[in-house]
Amino acid sequence: MSPRTKASINRRDFLKSAAAGTAVLAATPAPPANQPAADRRARAAVRISPEAELRALSGGEVLTAERTGSDFMVDVIKSLKIDYVCSNPGASFRGLHESIINYGGNRGPEFITCCHEESSVGMAHGYAKIEGKPLLVMAHGTVGLQHAAMAVYNAYCDRVPVLIIGGNIMDATKRLSQVEWAHSAQDAAAVLRDYVKWDDLPVSLPHFAESTVRAYKMAMTPPMMPVLLILDAELQENPIAANASLQVPKLMPYGPPQGDSGSVDEAARLLVAAENPVLIAGRSARTPAGLAHLLELAETLQIPVIDQMDRMNFPTRHPLNQTESGLALIGKADVILGLEVNDFWGTVHSSRDQIERTSHSIARPDAKTISINSANLFVKSNYQNFQRYPEVDIDIPADAEATLPSLTEAVRRRLDAGRKSAFADRGAKLAVAHDESLQRARDAAAFAWDASPISTARLAAELWAQIKTEDWSLVSSATFVSRWPLRLWAFEKHYQYIGAQGGYGIGYNAPASVGAALANRKYGRLSVNIQCDGDLMYAPGVLWTAAHHHIPLLTVMHNNRAYHQELMQVQIMANRHSRGLDRATIGTTICDPNIDFTKLAESMGVYAEGPISDPKELGPAITRAIEVVKRGEPVLLDVVTQPR
Amino acid sequence: MGHFTSTTWKAFLTAALIIAAVLALIPDANAQSRKDAQSGKKVFEKVGCFRCHGSAGEGMPQTGKEAGSPKIAATKLSLRDFLESVRKPKGQMPPFGAKQVSDEELSDVYAFLESAASQPKPELPSSASSKDGEHLYTAFGCYECHGYQGQGSVQTGGSRIGPPQIPYSGFLAYIRQPAGEMPPYASKALSDAQLADIYAFLQSRAQAAPSKAIPQLNQ
Repeated sequence: MSPRTKASINRRDFLKSAAAGTAVLAATPAPPANQPAADRRARAAVRISPEAELRALSGGEVLTAERTGSDFMVDVIKSLKIDYVCSNPGASFRGLHESIINYGGNRGPEFITCCHEESSVGMAHGYAKIEGKPLLVMAHGTVGLQHAAMAVYNAYCDRVPVLIIGGNIMDATKRLSQVEWAHSAQDAAAVLRDYVKWDDLPVSLPHFAESTVRAYKMAMTPPMMPVLLILDAELQENPIAANASLQVPKLMPYGPPQGDSGSVDEAARLLVAAENPVLIAGRSARTPAGLAHLLELAETLQIPVIDQMDRMNFPTRHPLNQTESGLALIGKADVILGLEVNDFWGTVHSSRDQIERTSHSIARPDAKTISINSANLFVKSNYQNFQRYPEVDIDIPADAEATLPSLTEAVRRRLDAGRKSAFADRGAKLAVAHDESLQRARDAAAFAWDASPISTARLAAELWAQIKTEDWSLVSSATFVSRWPLRLWAFEKHYQYIGAQGGYGIGYNAPASVGAALANRKYGRLSVNIQCDGDLMYAPGVLWTAAHHHIPLLTVMHNNRAYHQELMQVQIMANRHSRGLDRATIGTTICDPNIDFTKLAESMGVYAEGPISDPKELGPAITRAIEVVKRGEPVLLDVVTQPR
Repeated sequence: MGHFTSTTWKAFLTAALIIAAVLALIPDANAQSRKDAQSGKKVFEKVGCFRCHGSAGEGMPQTGKEAGSPKIAATKLSLRDFLESVRKPKGQMPPFGAKQVSDEELSDVYAFLESAASQPKPELPSSASSKDGEHLYTAFGCYECHGYQGQGSVQTGGSRIGPPQIPYSGFLAYIRQPAGEMPPYASKALSDAQLADIYAFLQSRAQAAPSKAIPQLNQ
């Protein structure tokens, strides 16, 4: 954020001249270069329009305007039913900011004050995965977009829609200070272009209207991704001419791309004939309907499901959920079906990170592989998140959620009594295996049960014991706590889990959890965030945002006092070189001093307790915390934990 | 005992030659003629068998994404069945064709596995100190993947090692030459005596209480 240091006295001639003609401008010679600035401003003021001239004759310069371009922009944004705009204020979009809170009444969208653009986009990321639609992010010219970049990349990799507006001042002669020069760019979108689906630079209000609706439409079409509009300050701040003809374009969403009937039918044939098929779900369920569609297919086939949990795809306690036995099932499968699997190749291979990086297939050589993945419809070159090339037998570039009903129907058409009977037998065996798997997880969770620092298994179990009767939503990734919630809790509904970063960019979890909690607020859900310490320290100001906007959220710290993933990476190098095995903590730990997360949260108006190291104290602390969250406020419990 | 006529002798010789020729075509018989354990060890390492089965074929417990592998040292399979299990494996083991490893080489591997099983296994020294081991376990980063109590983690891939699920000899061998993702601990960086202390520490970790006795784990 940086205030514009000089008031603009003539930021309105573009539209005014369009409305009133350009005769005066054309007749007025340009001021000499050595003319004093004050003279140039005065002369420019005289140039603007007949209306201004009339005012000038009556003794005053035109300093106010009834309706500006940014008001119309709000009309367009409101037409898209966008509930919130997350933003750290910036002068390059001051016009739109003011129109949102005054002309728009600060409702639909409501301004959510963020302390960092990475937090703005991170919140939008979490929000969209709960609500199924984007919110708006406004970011300052150049510096704001640079701050936002990592979070945009995460959303891009995670196939999440975000509508981003970045400020800019296109006309170099209208930049009145060195600050405005520093915050303007010839191609402001360039910093994000590699990882947004589409960007544009509207040069008129009708152009803005069409591009905004187009951007929204593109962002919401699978594969969903962020989109970016660069907004010229002049376009926001100039008055709208009285005779301007402006209209808000109609939004007609694209239908999600479905798989072609031939490929779908062939996939169904293989699945019905298979003796040991397995289904792997990545980002299969975009919406609650996606979860229901997957249940239908899985139960029709009685096929084991391995849920990679990039979204909440499949109930964790369903007998067909065989996630914990995934490796063995892939190893013996004769048909492998992947639904929006981010890394199909990596799923069917095992790799080894030693000096010689090796890998081998864990699938049977004769296994048939099928992939339905909308990511293949939109691949960019530079950033390599598209993963290694998978040699699949049937590759369907389509949205899995939209394709599942036709696949299930094709499967049903091929069923006969014999196959139904075989499927029933398979389902019965899988139900037994599921129960055994759950028991194994519980047995494993009992190890280090009374340990201090507190085990991640106990942290998850203590939470589950108290939220299981609530309408809860886990709004954080479970990866860094050894996936214990996914192994021990009964996930059933789509909003109960939102996956992880997408691009593995740390700093995602804290803002995404607040954004998801913002979406959950109107439904009265209990949002739960298991928060890594390193992740929170990227932009802890999002705690203030949660307090300021009264966003109810239970944050339980997974405080292992380290950038633990990197600690393990440095340990690998030390071991490989057989030196300094006890020095990998240098540069990778967050201690000496330990961060007092309780004070950090309290300083921003968040109720907090901790540090909690005694596992017996955890349960009662969670009870107290839930009471505060139910009153509509955020809470942070600082829990000192085992590494993973 | 009678004597052979020349016709009988010729017939005998012919039959013997035929049998010899047939035997030469049978991998099992040909392989049995070699059995060089030293060469087998080299093949075992070159082909990468150790990555899944351990440096002496002792097998691996399941760890995270790695499914584990059976012990193959002192295998009870016949050589013929051993060859068959490598060419057409069941389960998750990838098949190894003759272009990757010949029957002759596999017979040497078989011999190596037999000899490995007969070698004396290191025992945990009585001097091993659990207290020193606790310090070493943390200082040398074992906790990073396995947790401070050796409880393991599916995220790191570190298996549960507290208390240990494998004997000291296997522990020692695995740490020196790990098959999966685990970084190797060479003896120049971590001595056998220090490893013994760490093992003693892990042995001192309590078994978990039955999960059914913990209310939070039954919901």
